[in-house]
Amino acid sequence: MWRPCGVFDETYSSDMSIVRTKFHWICLIVSLLFVMIFPLFDNYYLLSLFNKMAIMTIVAMGLQILSGMCGQISFGQAAFMSVGAYTSCILTNIGLSFWIVMPIAGIVSGLIGLLGGTSALRVKGFYLAIATLALHFVIIWLTMHLEITGSTEGLHMDPPTFFGILIDTEPQKFYVIISVLALMTYGARNLVRTRVGRVFVAIRDNDLAAQVMGINLFYYKLLAFFIACFYAGIGGSLWVLWLNLAHPDQFGLMDNVYYLGMIIIGGLGSIPGVFFGVVFIVLLDEILMLVAPPLSTLFPSLGMEVSANLSLSIFGIAIVLFLIYEPRGLYRTWNVIKNSLRVYPFTY
Amino acid sequence: MKEIKHRKTGFVAVALPVLLGLYLMLFGLTSRGECAEKAASFLCLADYTGPVAAISVPLVKGETDYFKEVNARGGINGIKINFINIDTRYNVARAVSAYRRYRKGHKVLVADFHSTPFGKALGRDTKRDKIFGLYPGDGEVQGKDLPGFNWGTTYQDSFAACLDWIIKDWKEKGTGGRPKVGYLSWDSAYGRESLRGGKEYADTLPLTLLKPEFFPVGSLDHTVYLQRLAKNGANYIFIGGVDPTPTNIMKDAYRMRITKNIQFINNSFWGPTKSVGVRMHPEKVNNVVRASFFIVGEEAEKHPAHKLWLKHRPNEPISDLTGAYYIGVALAKDFEAGLKVALKNVSYEDLDGEVLADAYKQLTGSPHREGLTGACAFSPTNHRGSMEVKFYRIENGKINRISDWVKVPDAVSMHKWD
Repeated sequence: MWRPCGVFDETYSSDMSIVRTKFHWICLIVSLLFVMIFPLFDNYYLLSLFNKMAIMTIVAMGLQILSGMCGQISFGQAAFMSVGAYTSCILTNIGLSFWIVMPIAGIVSGLIGLLGGTSALRVKGFYLAIATLALHFVIIWLTMHLEITGSTEGLHMDPPTFFGILIDTEPQKFYVIISVLALMTYGARNLVRTRVGRVFVAIRDNDLAAQVMGINLFYYKLLAFFIACFYAGIGGSLWVLWLNLAHPDQFGLMDNVYYLGMIIIGGLGSIPGVFFGVVFIVLLDEILMLVAPPLSTLFPSLGMEVSANLSLSIFGIAIVLFLIYEPRGLYRTWNVIKNSLRVYPFTY
Repeated sequence: MKEIKHRKTGFVAVALPVLLGLYLMLFGLTSRGECAEKAASFLCLADYTGPVAAISVPLVKGETDYFKEVNARGGINGIKINFINIDTRYNVARAVSAYRRYRKGHKVLVADFHSTPFGKALGRDTKRDKIFGLYPGDGEVQGKDLPGFNWGTTYQDSFAACLDWIIKDWKEKGTGGRPKVGYLSWDSAYGRESLRGGKEYADTLPLTLLKPEFFPVGSLDHTVYLQRLAKNGANYIFIGGVDPTPTNIMKDAYRMRITKNIQFINNSFWGPTKSVGVRMHPEKVNNVVRASFFIVGEEAEKHPAHKLWLKHRPNEPISDLTGAYYIGVALAKDFEAGLKVALKNVSYEDLDGEVLADAYKQLTGSPHREGLTGACAFSPTNHRGSMEVKFYRIENGKINRISDWVKVPDAVSMHKWD
């Protein structure tokens, strides 16, 4: 759609390729170089921030497939993430390798997610949102009360090893997390272009029409839930790699709202939009968190409660303004700007 | 063209603040400047907008005011105190992020965690960074010998002291048999902490501890739990949670008309507070007994330290001063006293959290807390800030002291820690 003027797909393989133009290749190489060099700067904080954003991107990407592409609203992504996190802790603590456990955590989370999927056949829209919300509370309640999940104490996971190297430092975790993110993005990006991806879009646009066309709604809705929860499970597994801890307080209701906010702000239905949404929300939150203390120092009359609440208010206002002025997401803005700059000084 | 211009303006509007923020984050301007003068940092990961805000806000006020005083006096041996406080919204990811932002380059010696999971998530980090943690009342710090200290008494020790008080009260009432004691608190690590050791202590006493009841954090109705405890014949009920939770429980109990027959008691310090429950619903929280390792109510207003409040908060009435403010002052005093001891042994350059932790261990019985809390109990074998509590009773909109400092039993050591 947003192809530069003069760029055509002349062969089947060019039509199917993800990296299309020379500029894309340059961007990819620069990104890879950045990923390789970035940890060498030894900025622990920024690495940690990147790790957090990368994990959230994976989780939000799953939600994008479910809600953005397939139109099934879910408020359970954080809970499904917790399933992945706890599964990883439990299985690694009994001696399994983390690298085997990670995909298992995704699958277990996906299977639990099928429970949410079954309700999707009978209800949709806000009703489905409430059903998944209920599932969130059930899962979190279970993690707080089962002995196997460490009850309210949570579970620890020792850092894994990779060919004898202990993955314990932030740069090491960065390489692992970024690699998994790249794989998951590749998978999601391809999914959009497959038959399954097109079926998801058809269900989102009009599920009745999709059914009339012969699409098995039940199967595909379940599949969407499975994939979304698989992503959440992988995210949860990486979360415990990052923090070495799974605790019920880490997977709150507000996190679900944040994930939904991320995909809405990034642009519903777009995989690159997830990156925009996550970066926007996390950075805005981070900046406001760090700006609040000096703000209360500069303006003592505000007091710390006011400056802390101010940060929440600014966060809310930014999101509201964004939805008013760019409801189709940051990814669209990015494309519009990119194209307008490409043809500058001409309008079209 | 208009469309493009509009888009460009929008892009600039979004990009500018983001870039500015990134600049601030990268170059540390948000950290209040890297002072050329010698400074030691006290990092406070508080919660101004979440479920424990009723503790965090006054506590941080106390720390802020006292550190201002210290810095105005020229610091400690010329070392200024850099007090960094962050609103984590009770969110672990935010706390981790904030900690990792400030851990280096600011000579952070102490991280004051206003939530148990923060300490758990950052345990490896603090150990590696030689920064020690301060924790509210989790006996785990003592039980597992973690690198850190409690603000005051632990929840379980205070619970045990309350059980002793119940036995005494029961005898004074002259009622025969064993008192039945209920427990009602948040369904969280905090809510269950009192029973880890507290339950074992209860088993040694002539009372019956009923099956504990837990409710989700943020619940507004507690009728079912209260009804169950009342039906089981509870004579005393422990109420946990941070205000407004204890106040909300009492509102329900008052509505159910069980406050006349059942004595409500709070061992975990955080309510009903003067600024919330006692002020808003004096008749509903009437007769509640509170155990506290820090002074509260009228006694807090009359303590000489209230001048600190008057000096730094001219626009805030003294009636807003809650006991948690004094916890902040006490923790700031600990930091000051510890730093003085540490600087006798090492130079500023060699100062780190481990050295300061060793200094804290030498503060046993030190009078620096000036009666704001029970006597300082930090020692090489004790992580607890205090081993004493006072009992208060809420009567006619006032929190009146009904006991002097009482030594708490060591319930922590009765629990089997994994």
